Amino acid sequence: MRKTGPVVFGFLVGMLMLIQYFTPNPWIQARYNNVLDWKQVVFGITLMLGVLSLVLFHWRKIEQRQKGWGYSVITIAGLIFMIAAAVWRGQNAGPYLWMFDHVQSPMQSTMFALLAFYVASASYRAFRARGFHAALLLTAGVIVMLGRVPLGEMLGFHAGERYYSLATISDWVLNYPNVAAKRGVLIGVQLGIVATAIKIILGIERTYLGKGA
Amino acid sequence: MGGELTGWFNADRLPAALATLIFGAVLIYFIRAARQGRPLYIRRIAGLEAVDEAVGRATEMGRPILYSPGLDPMEEVATVASINILAQVARRAGQYETRLIMPNRDAIVMTVAQEVVREAYTEVGRPDLYDSHDIYYTTQSQFGYAAAVCGTMMREKPATNFFIGHFYAESLVLAETGNATGAIQIAGTDSDSQLPFFICACDYTLIGEELYAGSVYLSREPLLLGALKGQDVAKLILLAVLLIGTLLALAGIDIRPILGIGAASGGGG
Amino acid sequence: MRARPDTRGRAGRRPFYDLLMNVDRRVIFLVIAAAVALPLVFPLHLPVQISPEARAYFDEIERLQPGDQIILSFDYEPDTMAELDPMSYATLRHAFRKRLSVIALTTYAGGPGIALRVLGETAAEFGQQYGTDYVFLGYNPDYSATILRMGESIQATFPTDHFGTPADSLALLQGIDRYADIELLVSISASALTEYWIIWAGGNYGQRIIAGNSAIQAVLIYPYYDSRQLSGFLGGLKGAAEYEKLIEHEGAGLRGMDAQSMAHLLIVCFIVLGNVGLVMQKLRARGDAAGRAGSAG
Repeated sequence: MRKTGPVVFGFLVGMLMLIQYFTPNPWIQARYNNVLDWKQVVFGITLMLGVLSLVLFHWRKIEQRQKGWGYSVITIAGLIFMIAAAVWRGQNAGPYLWMFDHVQSPMQSTMFALLAFYVASASYRAFRARGFHAALLLTAGVIVMLGRVPLGEMLGFHAGERYYSLATISDWVLNYPNVAAKRGVLIGVQLGIVATAIKIILGIERTYLGKGA
Repeated sequence: MGGELTGWFNADRLPAALATLIFGAVLIYFIRAARQGRPLYIRRIAGLEAVDEAVGRATEMGRPILYSPGLDPMEEVATVASINILAQVARRAGQYETRLIMPNRDAIVMTVAQEVVREAYTEVGRPDLYDSHDIYYTTQSQFGYAAAVCGTMMREKPATNFFIGHFYAESLVLAETGNATGAIQIAGTDSDSQLPFFICACDYTLIGEELYAGSVYLSREPLLLGALKGQDVAKLILLAVLLIGTLLALAGIDIRPILGIGAASGGGG
Repeated sequence: MRARPDTRGRAGRRPFYDLLMNVDRRVIFLVIAAAVALPLVFPLHLPVQISPEARAYFDEIERLQPGDQIILSFDYEPDTMAELDPMSYATLRHAFRKRLSVIALTTYAGGPGIALRVLGETAAEFGQQYGTDYVFLGYNPDYSATILRMGESIQATFPTDHFGTPADSLALLQGIDRYADIELLVSISASALTEYWIIWAGGNYGQRIIAGNSAIQAVLIYPYYDSRQLSGFLGGLKGAAEYEKLIEHEGAGLRGMDAQSMAHLLIVCFIVLGNVGLVMQKLRARGDAAGRAGSAG
């Protein structure tokens, strides 16, 4: 029952979600809306589960004085502070909003900003013309990198009434080869998703129960 | 879509219904064929061939393996595929007695992964190797997770990194940091936007569906193999339909009125 | 597998091409930092051309009439706000200038802080009133259920706004309950959220959609724009700059173009440097091989 129950439940709900797409029947649409509402409830519970896991993980680290337990103290203190701040003065003002604007936002932006440096070092290392495909990647990368900034738009020439620049070539690369490739990958990935969904509905795929392939 | 629809069937969605039925039928046909023991071929995938070598390298160097299942929750297909591949990697890690570290962004994925790894170690006769502290939850925050994984890579210096799942902008941060530590890196994602970064920074990359094929490839389980073949045949059918449609369009023949399909819906201009 | 060949010459010195091919990461980081920082202090005012996609984005809002409702979804968090905030600010300035009714929401837990700031500043600029000119419905967990549920009933999906006010008591939401009541949906996103809006809101309910995306995400959006499932989009900071030029209001997008241009140029220079080193290495290897063949013959 422990393994069969979830599979049967998955089949019933999966079939409901599949059928509802093709039928305007009010009863089925109402059940569909019920599922969507419950989905949000379950999602909220998983958020709570996440917080609980976080607290348990770091509490264990502090209790056992594992390596880096000091950071766990800061984590739990931060969690308690933000909850207390939100309860005391709400989320739209006071210390909660101040911490979001002056601590969390700059920290998250900084982490993302690291990508600029990593892109530079990764590009420098990876874009070497060792063979035909590598040279093609390099050429496309350089054209799009320059074509997507004002500098690339300035590097061009007039031919009659029209102006051609690196931006023109970059736009062509993005609108034609890029679209074709992306469409191909998109179709393949979406078919894979549909196949996996059918396998889950039919109970062939049971990884979510904790059993490996 | 305008106005209230009545009845049992939305006729506007007939093409989608037909496609679903055909696809489902093809899938079920090949799953049954696999159940009956028919041999089904899948081509070599370089990234997956390298898994044994990568685990072996970690064993020789006496350093752990790091496995990241991506940032998506358990219900996403890429995560399901990643956990399937994790089972195979965990079996090999158990056989070679190599430590497997797995930071997670999602608590449910962590729970499933712990179960999968414990079962994998048990199957190879090494349940004593399982340590739940090595499969842990970090944070829900995207870059908080990236920072946690990078910190683990810098401290533990894994010999092999697996980035298998759905990733977002943090992919390059992870891959570059792993590269800086000298690890061999195998990545696999269905996230189109992150593929270029993994291709540049990792030794092997599973692109799109190769990720979904990964667990089938490593386990060779007949049911999953049948489903994969069915998927490929359905893709061929779709390709044929696209080709026919393209040729008809080039010839100036519009068959949309015959099929009852209107102009593009949604945000069309 | 990662062993680097010993490239020291006879005298034990590293060849020049080895230096070109192995510039220290830290040098690259320092140069990029300077390339980004200096143009912000000493602007170059490089001219910006308008792309068809950005023009289409602008036209979609421009065609609307005063009082028309748009949904603006802040589908991002602070990590990508440097690239997406300029789009949000410009979109709201355009919408408020045209006296459109804005229904804002977010699908990210970290989104409310951003939405409150952007809405607050732009609404104050144009004297817009909360409840009648714009509302903020807040954050709803689980984006898939949110997008799908809104097709059946927006007020059932968001029974109250972000501040706890019942949705049915807000003047702006009177008679507005489904996508069919909304003229345009704008998704500002750095993730696949835009694609989900297109597939679920656009595909299931026929909602007209435009999007502002980070540069990485924008590359994936082209197929949807090409097939007209998306009516217009802005790609990265450049897209934001183009849109700011169209609405004639200079913001962070236009100001960032000089820094972005310099950074891209320097990355290309490093790439060229690495490839020059590669060519030199190949020529050297060929020369050495020819020399060995000559001495053997």
